Amino acid sequence: MLGGRSRRWLPVLFLAPGALLTLVCVLLPVLYAVQLSFYRLESFIGRPAWVGVGNYAQLFQEARFWNALANGFVYSLATIVLQVALGIVIALLLNEVFPGRALLQGLTVIPYVLPTVVVALTWRWLLDGSHGLISQWARALIGANVGWFDSGGMAMAVVVLVSVWMWTPFVSTAFLAALKTIPGELYEAARVDGANAWQRFAYVVIPSVRPVLIVIVLLRGIWMFNKFDIVWLLTHGGPLEATEHLPILSYVLTFSLFDIGGGAAVATISFLFLAGIVSLYLWLFPMEEA
Amino acid sequence: MSTRRVLLYVAAGAVAVYSGFPVYWMFVTSVRDPKHLFGPPALRPGPFTLEYFSALLGVTDFPRYFANSVIVAAATTLVTLVVSALMAYAVARSRSRGSRLVVLAMLYGYMLPPLLLAIPLFVMFTRVGLADTLVGLIISHLTITLPLGVWLLWGFFKNFPVELEEAALVDGCSLVGTLWRITLPLSLPGLATTGIFAFLLSWTDYTYALMMVSSDARKTVPLGLAAMMGSYDLRWGEMMAGSVIITVPLLLILAFLSRWFVGGMTAGALKG
Repeated sequence: MLGGRSRRWLPVLFLAPGALLTLVCVLLPVLYAVQLSFYRLESFIGRPAWVGVGNYAQLFQEARFWNALANGFVYSLATIVLQVALGIVIALLLNEVFPGRALLQGLTVIPYVLPTVVVALTWRWLLDGSHGLISQWARALIGANVGWFDSGGMAMAVVVLVSVWMWTPFVSTAFLAALKTIPGELYEAARVDGANAWQRFAYVVIPSVRPVLIVIVLLRGIWMFNKFDIVWLLTHGGPLEATEHLPILSYVLTFSLFDIGGGAAVATISFLFLAGIVSLYLWLFPMEEA
Repeated sequence: MSTRRVLLYVAAGAVAVYSGFPVYWMFVTSVRDPKHLFGPPALRPGPFTLEYFSALLGVTDFPRYFANSVIVAAATTLVTLVVSALMAYAVARSRSRGSRLVVLAMLYGYMLPPLLLAIPLFVMFTRVGLADTLVGLIISHLTITLPLGVWLLWGFFKNFPVELEEAALVDGCSLVGTLWRITLPLSLPGLATTGIFAFLLSWTDYTYALMMVSSDARKTVPLGLAAMMGSYDLRWGEMMAGSVIITVPLLLILAFLSRWFVGGMTAGALKG
């Protein structure tokens, strides 16, 4: 290759804008957030006052924090299990040959490209207490109003199901791509050996797509744990904090109660917690070199 | 027809209704006469009206929100493309180990809770006068689109045949000229995927807009629509009309650019 001075400084010049942006807008802010979690700050223009681990000690004493942690756990676990299961079923369906298959594949991706606010509004409308379509059907069916957002358990179920509706296409698309890489001879061999459909799934499909599945579950897990918008738009964490998880608690503390140090502490804890779970996961299911 | 075939069609029908019906209902509601909106529901569209759209565009601040959304998404996409292409190219062609670290760091960016970034960014923006500005919002969007862009384009440049570039260099083309005339034009699919996803992330964002922007004049469409849901009387017709307006560009992308969209998803284009 050619030498010359330009070869040395050009890469630096190319890297500079991105590196600078990442440093100033990602790295420093994250460190600043961790720093803020050790300070009391009650307005965005105020001066932070050092409180040491005060914010953390305060949080660990509050039932609201433990409630949010538990809710986050329930929410992410339920959404991951359901979207992975449903995503696999849809991918297996789309892997079959039938007329309209391409159209169906396009249709199944739609929920994933919709803005979260559209998903939240549409489902709120379908579930609207007096005029929502699904509410009216439910009333006709059981003869009474269903308060979708009135009880904690029901609200959590709705939030989970709407989240699953929106993010399952990620799983089905990725899983379908992995399915396409399985050589047809493998199925044939299994069939010849007398394996039924379930056995072919368990002993041919799953082992072949295992690396992809590990990554899918990891990514979905990270995202569902950090998910803020859909829960906030559907319930605002209610009723009575029944759907409030760590991201919402952090938001409410910071932007409604102006306990900015406390909000930063929740965000920091949530990150450490996630990092811990991810490490454990990667230890249990080591990823092969890509 | 065999039982298996029948089951297949039933499953396909169920999945189609499950995925498509809420979107269908959004469209039907947005053009249904208000007198028929709140009665017993008819699944067929009609009676037809455009009054929600005209109310939304004529009476509310929706056109302002729409313009803001376009500005923010366009700027985010453009900056993401330029900055991440340069960065990804430098990393892909570098032989030092540090460059791998850059890509790895970008991946870890995915793990950050949005609040861990949004809180300090907003405090910083408040201090430098970027709070409640479109520039601040664009910067916050770049924190998610940039790692994505670098990751995606790094994958494309890494697999780009270096021999082509060497040939151009030998023929006397400068390094920048090679990038501009050879590498970038031939990496168009990668650039398209990156652009689509940057646009998608910025256009659909609610979380960062909620935290970075507060005044009406700076709201984007998702923020404006969410505010309508919070108001006292729920104007479902207008809300569904607004939803249709921000959804249509996305459906067009899906319909006409689906090759790059689905291809991008399998190449690692990731959206929460």
